[in-house]
Amino acid sequence: MSYDIPDKELMSPGHVACPGCGAPLAVRYALKALGDNTVLIVVASCWSIIAGPFPYTAVQVPLLHTLFATGGSTASGVKAGLEARGLKDTQVLTLAGDGGTFDIGIQALSAAVERNEDFIYMCYDNEAYMNTGIQRSSATPWGAWTTTTPVKHPKDQPKKDMVAIMAAHRIPYTATATVAYPEDLVRKVKKAASIRGSKFLHVLSPCPSGWKSEPAQSVLLSRLAVETCVFPLYEIEHGEDYTITVQPRQKVPVTEYMKLQGRFAHLKPEALAQIQENVDREWDKLVAKTGNHCGH
Amino acid sequence: MEKVIMGNHAVSYGVQLARAQVIAAYPITPQTQIVEMLSELCADGRLKATFIKVESEHSAMAATVGASIAGVRAFTATSSHGLALMHEVLHWASGGRLPIVMANVNRALGPGWNVWGDQTDSLAQRDTGWLQFYCETNQEVLDMVIQGFKIAETVLLPVMIVLDAFVLSHTEEPVNIPEQDEVDRFLPPYQPQFKLEPGEPHSFYGLVAPEHYMELRFKMEQAMEESIAVTQRVAAEFAQAFGRSYDVVEKYRMDDADLVLVTAGSITGTSRVVVDELREAGQKVGLLKVCMFRPFPVAAVREALSKAQKVAVIDRNISYGVGGIFAAELKTALYGAPHQPVVFPFIIGLGGRDVTPESIHSIVAYTGGHDAPAEPIIWMEVRR
Amino acid sequence: MTSHIIVFQSAADMPSLPMSVGTTLYNKTGSWRYVRPVYRDKTPPCNHACPAGEDIVDYLQMVVDGNYEQARQRILEENPLIGVCGRVCPHPCESDCNRTQLGGAIAIHALERFVAGQPGARRLPQAEKTAPAGAQVAVVGSGPAGLSCAYQLARRGYKVTIFEALPAAGGMLRVGIPSYRLPREVLDAEIAAIQALGVEIRTGMRLGQNPVRAGSPPGRDGLRLEDLAGYRAVFLAVGQHLSRRLGIPGEEAQGVLPGLEFLRRVNLGEPVQIGSRVAVVGGGNTAMDAARCAVRQGARQVTILYRRSRHEMPAIDEEIEETEGEGVKVQYLTAPVEVVTTVGKVTALKCMRMKLGEPDEGGRRKPEPIHGSEYSLPVDMVIPALGQEADLSFLDSQIDSARGLIVIDAAGATSRQSVFAGGDAATGRSAPSAVPPRRAAGPNGGGRPERGAGTVAYAIGSGKRAALAIDRLLNGQSLEGFPALGEHVHVAARDVDPRVVPFEDINLAYFSSEPRTPQGQRTAAERVKDFQEVNLGFSEREARREAERCLSCGTCNQCDTCWLYCPDVCIRRRDHAAPPGPGHTAYEFDYDYCKGCGVCAQECPREAIDMEEELKWRR
Repeated sequence: MSYDIPDKELMSPGHVACPGCGAPLAVRYALKALGDNTVLIVVASCWSIIAGPFPYTAVQVPLLHTLFATGGSTASGVKAGLEARGLKDTQVLTLAGDGGTFDIGIQALSAAVERNEDFIYMCYDNEAYMNTGIQRSSATPWGAWTTTTPVKHPKDQPKKDMVAIMAAHRIPYTATATVAYPEDLVRKVKKAASIRGSKFLHVLSPCPSGWKSEPAQSVLLSRLAVETCVFPLYEIEHGEDYTITVQPRQKVPVTEYMKLQGRFAHLKPEALAQIQENVDREWDKLVAKTGNHCGH
Repeated sequence: MEKVIMGNHAVSYGVQLARAQVIAAYPITPQTQIVEMLSELCADGRLKATFIKVESEHSAMAATVGASIAGVRAFTATSSHGLALMHEVLHWASGGRLPIVMANVNRALGPGWNVWGDQTDSLAQRDTGWLQFYCETNQEVLDMVIQGFKIAETVLLPVMIVLDAFVLSHTEEPVNIPEQDEVDRFLPPYQPQFKLEPGEPHSFYGLVAPEHYMELRFKMEQAMEESIAVTQRVAAEFAQAFGRSYDVVEKYRMDDADLVLVTAGSITGTSRVVVDELREAGQKVGLLKVCMFRPFPVAAVREALSKAQKVAVIDRNISYGVGGIFAAELKTALYGAPHQPVVFPFIIGLGGRDVTPESIHSIVAYTGGHDAPAEPIIWMEVRR
Repeated sequence: MTSHIIVFQSAADMPSLPMSVGTTLYNKTGSWRYVRPVYRDKTPPCNHACPAGEDIVDYLQMVVDGNYEQARQRILEENPLIGVCGRVCPHPCESDCNRTQLGGAIAIHALERFVAGQPGARRLPQAEKTAPAGAQVAVVGSGPAGLSCAYQLARRGYKVTIFEALPAAGGMLRVGIPSYRLPREVLDAEIAAIQALGVEIRTGMRLGQNPVRAGSPPGRDGLRLEDLAGYRAVFLAVGQHLSRRLGIPGEEAQGVLPGLEFLRRVNLGEPVQIGSRVAVVGGGNTAMDAARCAVRQGARQVTILYRRSRHEMPAIDEEIEETEGEGVKVQYLTAPVEVVTTVGKVTALKCMRMKLGEPDEGGRRKPEPIHGSEYSLPVDMVIPALGQEADLSFLDSQIDSARGLIVIDAAGATSRQSVFAGGDAATGRSAPSAVPPRRAAGPNGGGRPERGAGTVAYAIGSGKRAALAIDRLLNGQSLEGFPALGEHVHVAARDVDPRVVPFEDINLAYFSSEPRTPQGQRTAAERVKDFQEVNLGFSEREARREAERCLSCGTCNQCDTCWLYCPDVCIRRRDHAAPPGPGHTAYEFDYDYCKGCGVCAQECPREAIDMEEELKWRR
């Protein structure tokens, strides 16, 4: 076996994700990392549907569907309940989209991690409210088209820096990951599982339907996001120690990433140049935070 | 042991004795003492429970739901706007068939801010699939919390125990607090039928298509209807264990009553005094206390009112465009009954305006002095 | 939990709450797709280029896995002379290797040598015995073509006799290639293994008709074509052992020794007079070898004269470098015009500078003399190495030849019933001729030589081709359907799409540039002192490292990438009894659920998955 990934599958086919969706990959890897002593909480998002309708399920771990704003709060209750039953080693993994994390769910998430509840919160970020039909969220990148940021008025605000917000809570572990780098994702989930306290993972999850990209290119897009430094892969311990975990082999221009996505097709060269400048600046800031140290 | 305690603490004692395992709650006047005492009990280990200090009531109910489906006895408490904020999660709890118990202190809804007694907050949630019990005394509060867990865990629906703001919540009354071992015999540890169990991977609360949704809701209604008999059975067991009797309704001096007052909550206590005074004066007045509001005990209410000529319903709440909610529900219950008394729907005491024996006398006087209500809603003590 | 569709008969049947009682396996999402992925191995450029028809990518994977014996057997299926090829082949596989752009071509040549040298069974692999009882076949020439043909026939049960003109077997391998490139022990062992199958090699038996042509090797004129009538079939593999002439005044002088003759004497251990200042004329491997032998024989100064530039030199690049490393000077764009003698002995070579003009019929730019540029090179020995020709004087009118080569078709058959031909005698470089070249493809009656023609590997391929044709002929089967002469013949072919995978189809996300592992080599100072092997080959660690650089173009090598990235978990590793390896489909798609997203095909590092229209499969 060529990849350092556990063999056992805890997700079955027959789920109803769009062809080429990054979200089932994120969950597939996370469950491999955690094993079957896991409870998965699914906040209202695409995965509420992907998981399959009643009376079927697509995963081989207990799964609790919960309301949109309750990712952090439901997890707190579930964890307390499991511990009260003596199941102290059962991992609680909350899975939410960018809507349920950055927007409607941010309050409960902030509260849960402020209390340092012992759970892993994994946000699979497809950068809009995709389940309801591609409306913008605060995770939508600057300039992107969505149904509520149409081409005549694309998103005017930069993507909210959720990782910084989580790090500001000084939780034990915060990290970014994406589906093109499964070994990195698995390592981070396993690391999170080994820590008591709140762990936040921000996983970029390409969406062919919403990004207007080819289904076959979702892994490629995920890789390009890292190689262009649009979505760097790093981890933060205790809100202070930054480590970049995947160093791009060479820094690729952001246009290489964006030209494969219809949601950016309307952008003029000035906008693209601005985006490149923003990405470069943010990358430099991140590198400075690591003390120029790259691990792994 | 006998103690003079406020209603809020009666709740706390009930929760302690019921051995709740997870409590998630957010403070709101006038519920705060419930959670403060529970916090202390958890902190010093007198209650082996986890107290999650959530950041809102919506999160409080969500966490309680999470704990309950994780397979433990779970509890929360709130009031007024906190209850309103929880609304969508209340549906998740009932549709999720979770035996959660919640204490709600009846407090008025704003704007403007009003912290005093009013039944509208809990009644506005009457469609959420929760059982609702209205308590007259602090003793009843404690007793209903304990019975509430047993009823909930039998019918698999959540239970709301309601107590009036300040009149009960903050007023100290003598309460008999049972011993732990007595309660343990009455209420064994929770054995969930369904729960999150690694090794038995089920998915809960996912998408239900039209082809299945109605049957699931039909089953909920079935459980609701069964809960009347269950409540009575549990009450009988409670009486056996602790010597105090409860029922879905209570009939007070109703055998030959022509005129019946219908009340719920602490107004019942005031009304008892008035009924006694009126009976002294020779009036055939009785009192029907509605203990269980959800499900509405139709059969018991019909039976109780089968000989009354006039029924004066006292509502400390309002559903705009309809009037008092107890009155509306009672009329619905009587529809088609062989005997049809005249129903006088009174609204009084909103926002904590005091309801005194004089107020009740006025209600009786009005009812006695009219053949029928002069208006669809009879507003008492309101400056028009 | 059930994987089937669930139907509730009543509310009582249902759970009280929305809770799953089955899995999504009931939902065959395969109905969604309009394209489907298909595993399809394609042809890597190395396989496409190998004139011997080896399955290089297949055996390289075996080297990666440490299965050296299995790798050797795999090569031996197609080519019995792997130690030879691992040393002397010009490796067109490497020229086309896609790894060239990622740190350098895989050192396939050195890896073949490594595999050949591994300890283990020296047996040649068996084949199904298809020979009719008692069938005998004659092979003329024990060079690589003849040996390859004899091997493929003998393993099928034929009784093969090889007639060899020279006193020792091996053809050009013996007499044309010196032992510092091809040690005698290696050659002897590989010939012995073929003999161990029952092949008889009769040396000193030269096929001919009187008179023999001047310059051809001496030997008893004991054999004529008619003498072979008793054999069920004949394979002519006489090679090209005649040297082309300089065509300049003075070339008859003493001290002018044709390169092939020089090498033959050196390689057979016969005495040869070596000059002190030697000029070698020519740019092929023969010229290089002649120069290097001259150095080893004690010449003080050896100069190679070549009439075109370095770019056009036909010799293998490494050989040119090794030759120069040994102190030989190469003069480009120069050609001799006269051999100058004094008292009948060579004293100088008059040369003229050349410039390059238009391309000739072979595609190389024609050298044109620069008038007035004559100069004189003082030498006491001249070794012309201008090219080889076949001695076809033994042919009768029934066997066609053209431009100095025996004419063959795609089956290697000559114009005479039951007589086949191959190797340089049929597919070497053709003689220049007044007849303008025909442009027809197929039979080599004219036109440019097929790629690889004139090499050892090509000869081996052609011998194999003829053996398979002879086997068919003697079993009464048709000779139709052989691949054209420029394409390869395989004994054990995997089911592979003939599309060749270009570099653009390799997914570079999975590979970084890694430098090619250099092969150890003796220093020039050391090696000129003797005829011991110059190249040292790979250690096991170097071989594994180098084999692991192979991209496995178009050939699934079970990297797990498709399995890893399938969002629908519908790629399974197969539980097969057959051992895994490239070409064995190690995975299968679960088409019940595959949505046709195409991530697998996009990510496959080596273009081994195609996306095809679903309707094509649904008919």
